[in-house]
Amino acid sequence: MTKEQNKRKKHVFGMVIDLDKCTGCGSCMVACMSENNVPFREDESDKKRSITWMRVYKLTNGKSFPDTEICYLPRPCMHCGGHGDHGHSPCVSVCPVNATRYGYDTGIVSQIYTRCFGCRYCMAACPYHARYFNWWDPKWPGEMEKYLSPNVSPRMRGVVEKCSFCYQRYQAARDKALYEGRDEIEENEYQTACTEACPAGAITFGDLNNPDHMVYKMVQPDPHHTRKPLNPKAFRLLERLETNPKVYYISEREWVRKAGDNYIKGEWEKLNKNHGKSDE
Amino acid sequence: MNELEEKTEDVSMDAVEDGQKEEQKAEGDSGLGMGVLFFLVAFVVCFLSCWLLFPKVLYSEKSQPFNFNHRLHVEETGDCESCHSFRDDGSFAGIPKISKCLECHDEQQGDTKDEAFFIKNYASKDKEVPWFIYSKQPDCVFFSHAAHVKAAGMDCKTCHGDIGDSTKCKPYEENRITGYSRDIWGKSIWGIKKHSWDRMKMDDCAQCHEKETGEKGSCFQCHK
Amino acid sequence: MKVDRRSFLGLGLGAVAGVTVSPLPWKLIDDVSIWTQNWPWTPVPPDGEVTYDNTVCTLCPGHCGISVRKINGRPVKIEGRKGYPINDGGVCLHGLSSLQYLYDPARVKQPLMKKGKVWEKISWKDAITLVTGKLAELRKKQSPDRLACITDTDKGTISGLFERFLKAFGSNNFYTISSMDKTWEKTFKMMHHSGSSPGFDLKNSDFILSFGCGFIEGWGSPVHNFKINSAWKENKAKFVQIEPRLSHTAAKADMWIPVKPGTDADLALGMCCEIISKDLYDTSYISGFTKGFNDFSNMVKKNYTPEKVSKTTGVPASKIKELALKFAKAKTPVAIAGKGRGYKAGSMKEFTAVHALNCLAGNINKKGGVWTMPFMEYGNWPAINMDSVASAGVSKPVIGESGSVAALFEKINASKKSPVDLLFVYQSNPCFTMHDVKAVEKAVEKIPFIVSFSSVMDETAEKADIILPSHMFLERYEDVPGAFGLVEEVTGLCVPVAGPVFNTKNPGDSILMIAKALKGSVASSFPWENYHACLEKITGDIWDKLSGDGYLRKDANLPYLRPDADFSFAAQNTESVKMEGSEGSFPLILVPVDNMRLFSGVFASSPFAVKTVSDTIIKKRDILVELNPVTAKKIGLSHGDYAMIATPKGTAKVKVHIFEGIMPGVVGMDEGLGHTAENIFIKDKGVNVNELVGPVIDTGSGLDAAWGIRAKLSKV
Repeated sequence: MTKEQNKRKKHVFGMVIDLDKCTGCGSCMVACMSENNVPFREDESDKKRSITWMRVYKLTNGKSFPDTEICYLPRPCMHCGGHGDHGHSPCVSVCPVNATRYGYDTGIVSQIYTRCFGCRYCMAACPYHARYFNWWDPKWPGEMEKYLSPNVSPRMRGVVEKCSFCYQRYQAARDKALYEGRDEIEENEYQTACTEACPAGAITFGDLNNPDHMVYKMVQPDPHHTRKPLNPKAFRLLERLETNPKVYYISEREWVRKAGDNYIKGEWEKLNKNHGKSDE
Repeated sequence: MNELEEKTEDVSMDAVEDGQKEEQKAEGDSGLGMGVLFFLVAFVVCFLSCWLLFPKVLYSEKSQPFNFNHRLHVEETGDCESCHSFRDDGSFAGIPKISKCLECHDEQQGDTKDEAFFIKNYASKDKEVPWFIYSKQPDCVFFSHAAHVKAAGMDCKTCHGDIGDSTKCKPYEENRITGYSRDIWGKSIWGIKKHSWDRMKMDDCAQCHEKETGEKGSCFQCHK
Repeated sequence: MKVDRRSFLGLGLGAVAGVTVSPLPWKLIDDVSIWTQNWPWTPVPPDGEVTYDNTVCTLCPGHCGISVRKINGRPVKIEGRKGYPINDGGVCLHGLSSLQYLYDPARVKQPLMKKGKVWEKISWKDAITLVTGKLAELRKKQSPDRLACITDTDKGTISGLFERFLKAFGSNNFYTISSMDKTWEKTFKMMHHSGSSPGFDLKNSDFILSFGCGFIEGWGSPVHNFKINSAWKENKAKFVQIEPRLSHTAAKADMWIPVKPGTDADLALGMCCEIISKDLYDTSYISGFTKGFNDFSNMVKKNYTPEKVSKTTGVPASKIKELALKFAKAKTPVAIAGKGRGYKAGSMKEFTAVHALNCLAGNINKKGGVWTMPFMEYGNWPAINMDSVASAGVSKPVIGESGSVAALFEKINASKKSPVDLLFVYQSNPCFTMHDVKAVEKAVEKIPFIVSFSSVMDETAEKADIILPSHMFLERYEDVPGAFGLVEEVTGLCVPVAGPVFNTKNPGDSILMIAKALKGSVASSFPWENYHACLEKITGDIWDKLSGDGYLRKDANLPYLRPDADFSFAAQNTESVKMEGSEGSFPLILVPVDNMRLFSGVFASSPFAVKTVSDTIIKKRDILVELNPVTAKKIGLSHGDYAMIATPKGTAKVKVHIFEGIMPGVVGMDEGLGHTAENIFIKDKGVNVNELVGPVIDTGSGLDAAWGIRAKLSKV
C-alpha cells in the first residue's frame, strides 16, 4: 500500500439487522463461534461468563397474555465510532495498553489478544455488553482441537475478546483483490460469518460509506449526523449515548424501535413526532 | 561451542591477570583494592558471558532435514515465485509442498547427497519435508504477502535478505523462551539492524509502514 | 591485602554492572513478555491451503446442502452451500456445529461388545462373526421373524439395505420412528386415495394457517422454512399461528391465536363449518371431485358451529369466523399441521380436519397450494432371493398391530417373553425420543440381543449388546432423498469430507458384511461388493448427475390433475386424542416445547448449540418450565423457584420460568434435555420431557399421537 493508495476513500463497514425477519434461531451465534474459534465449557448457563461474540437477546413488549409479543435481537460488537464518529469508542478510549483500537480504514474496532492484559476496563465501558473475558483457558475436548481455524488466533486465559466483524474475512478478501490487481473488494467478497449463515437473510453487511452497498440503501446513513439512519424504521441501540454504532436494526414494530433506547415517560412520543430527531 | 567457551575462559583469565596487576598497584589500600578487583572481575566475567554465552543458551539449534541450495534453484527457475507462490485466493503458500517439488523432482536431479536423501526419504514417499521456517511469525500475526509483493511491488529481499543466494541452510535457531525463530529478533543479540531484513519485529513493520504510507496502520491490519 | 565484606560487595556490583550493559536483561524482558502472550498450551491451528467440499447434512430431515471449509484437507468450518435448492447458503446452528459431532468424545470409536456391564473392545471381524452367529441361530430355529429393526426413515439406500436384509432374512419387522410425515401420508391416503406425500407451496401462498407447527422451530426443512418466512415478510403474505404458547413461530406470525392445547382439530372443523355455511368453499372442486362432502357438511354444521367450538378451544366465535373468512377469501391459502418439529405423529382427526380446509379452499395441486407429491422413485433393487425360511418368516404378520415402534414396544412389554430375539437399531434413539421412556427402556431390556449401529454412545446404544459403530454423515457416502413438505424433488448425495476419525464403517457396509457372512440366499441377495458399489448401482442413471453436482433436482413429476377429495373419514368425527390423567389430581396441562436451539432428534445437542440455549430454559443442571404468572401465583411460585412436576407417568424437579406468553393452566417444557448418556456438555442437564409424557394411541392412525399430559406443579 503506497501513500497514494492510502488516500483512497475509507471503508465504514456496518451491519443492518432486520428484526422482523430474525427468527431467533441462533445460527448467527454458532456461525460466529465456529468461525472465530470461540471456546465452550461444560456449563454455559451463566450468561455473564459465557463467551458469545454474537448474542441473540429476547425482547418482550411487557404485555400480559395473550397480547405478549416477542422480538429477537442479535447483538454483535457495535464497532462504535464514538462521539462525533472520531474513533473514540467507549472501549478504545479506556484501554491502557492499546489492545483495542479503532481502525480508521475500516471502521472496525480491533481487539489484539496478545496485547490485552485483562484489566477489563473496556468491558466496563462497553454499553452493549459485547465484550467477554476469558476466565479460563479454553479447552477443546478429545480431538476437537483439530477443527480450529488458523485464521483467528485462539485466545488464552486472562484476555478480553469480542466480535471483529470477521476481520480475517476482510484480510482474505483484500489479499485476493490485491493478488488480482484490484484496489477494491466487491461487496459480496467480504461478508461476516453470521451474515452468510443467517437462514432468514435477516443480516446485511457492507460498507456504509458506499451508496451502492445494500446496507447504505437500507438505512440511509446521514453523513452530516454521524450516520444516523434516515430510514424511520431503522434505529441504533442507545443512539443518544452518541457511541455511533455501526450496527443498525430495522423493524416495522414501534415497541421494538422504542426498546432500542431508554426514554422517560412521554419522551418517545415527543421524539417520534419530530421523526426521531430531538427538539434541540 | 567449545571453541567459544575456551575463548571466553581465556578472556576471563586475562581479565583476572589484569586484575592482579591492578591489585599490586593499589597495595596499602587493601580493602578498597580488593573491592575494585572483585568488581572488575565480576563485571568482566558477567559482561562477557552475557554477550557470548547467553545467546548460546537462549537459542536451541536445529538443523534442517537436509541441505537446500537456494542459489541453484534460483538459477534453474529464475525467480522466487516459481516455488514460493501465491495461491489463487491471493494467500501466500510459503514453503512449497512436496507436490510442488515433485513437479521437477519426480526423479533424481543431480547426484548430490542431499538430493539422494530427499528422493529417498520424501519424494519417493510423497511425504512433506518438515522444514523449519526461519521467518515464521507467531500465530497472532497475519502477514499479507499480496499487499507487499503484489500491491506495493516490494522485493522478497527487503524482508528475507539474501537467502535466495545461499547455497546451504543455516541452522534454525529457536528461542527457548518464546519459541520464535532467531530471525525475528535478528542475528545480533543486541538487536542491531544494518539491513532491512535483519529483524522482523513489529517495530520494524511499523517503521517501514510509517515511512512508506505515512502511518503505522491499524492493529488489525496485521493481527488476528 | 585482606578480603573483607566490601570486596564481596564489589563482586556483586560488578556482576550487576556487567549484566546491565549486556543485552541479557533487555532481551529477556522482551522474551518473557512474548512468552506470557503465547502460552505453549494455547493451540496454534496449522495454516494452509483453503478448499471447499460440498455434501449434504443429514442431522435432521431438512437435508441442507453444506460446504465444508478445509485447511490443508482438515475440515475447520461448516457453511451453507450457496445455490443448493433447499437452503441456498443458509444453514442452521446444528449443521454449523457438525464438526463437533465429528470429533465428539461421546463417539463410539470402534466396535464394542458388552461383557456384563462393561464395554469391551472387539475387532470388526469378531463383531461381525458374533452377530452373524446369533442371526444364523435364529434361522436355524426357523424363526427369522424374531429379528426386528428400528431406523429413523425408510428412505434412501442405507435404510433400503436394512429393510432388504430383513426381508431376505425372513422378517417383516422393519420399523421406522413415527413422525408427522406418516400422519400426513395416511391423511393423503385417506382423503386422496393416493400413495403420496404432501408438498406445501408455501412460498407462493398468501395466507398460511399453521396448527401448532413449529414452522421456525425445525418443522419440515428448517432452513428452507426460514427463507420462506422472510419471503412472506417481503411479499406481505399472512401467517397465522394457532398454539397455546408464544413460540418463536408465534412470535414471527402476523397473528397468534392461542388455543387450548389439543383442540386444534375442533378449531379447524369450526372453520370448515363457517366456510361451508357461508358457501365460501370452492364449489367447482367440491362438487366435481369429492366424496362424502354432504356427510361432512352435516357433521360440522351439527357439532362444530363456531359458537360450540369457541367453548372447547377458548377462541372467540367472532375470531373463528374472521379466520374462516380470511382463509376462504385468500387467493392461495394453505393450512398445515404437525406439532412442533413434527418429529412425532399427530392425530388423524386433526390432520384430516386441517386438510379439509385445504380441500374446501380448492387449493390442491395449484400454485401456492398443497400438492400431492408422488413418492420419489428411483433405484432398481434386484429381486430378493428368498429361501424357504425367509418365505415362511415374511408370511407372518409384523409384530405390533399398526407396525409402529410404539406398538412393538407395547407388545414386548405385554408378552412374558419378548417376541423379538434380536434387534437392530440404526440411526434412532427410542430410549430418549419416545414417549414414556421408562416403558421403552423396559421393553428394550427384555430383548435378548441388541445390535446398535450408532455412531455415538446414546441412550439406546448404551443398552445394546454390541455396537457396530457407523461413520457419521461427514465421513460417509449416502443418498439423501428429498425433505418433508417440498414441492420439488431434490435428491442429495452425502460424500465423505472428513476422516473417518475412528475405526467405524459405513452402516451400509456393515449390513453387507453381515449379509455376506450369513451365506446362502441372504448373501446372494446382496450382490454388491461394498456399499459404494451398491449405491452406484441402485441410483443407476442418476448416479452421474448425483455424484457430479452433489444433488439432483427434478421438477417433481407433479400430478397436474386435481385428485378426488374424500371427506368420509373426517365426516366420521372420530374421538380426539385425549390426554392422560384426570383434571382433579392433575389440574395443569404439560406440553412439550420444541426449540430450534435444542436438538430433540437422534443426536444430543452439540456444545455450541447448548451454549446458545437461554438461561430461562436451562440453568446449571436445572430445567426451567414455562408458567403463566397467573398460574404461578395460584400455586405460589415465582421465577426461579424449585417445583415438583408430577404427571401420571412420573415426577421431576424443575425450576419455574415465569413467561407471559404461555396460556394460563399450561406448563411448557423443552424437548431435547435430560440426556443420560455420557456427554459432559449435555448429560444430566434438565429432564427429558418424554419421561413425563406417555403414549396415546390415535384411533385413526394407530400411531402414538400424544401431544401432552395432565400435570401438577407443587412448590418444593
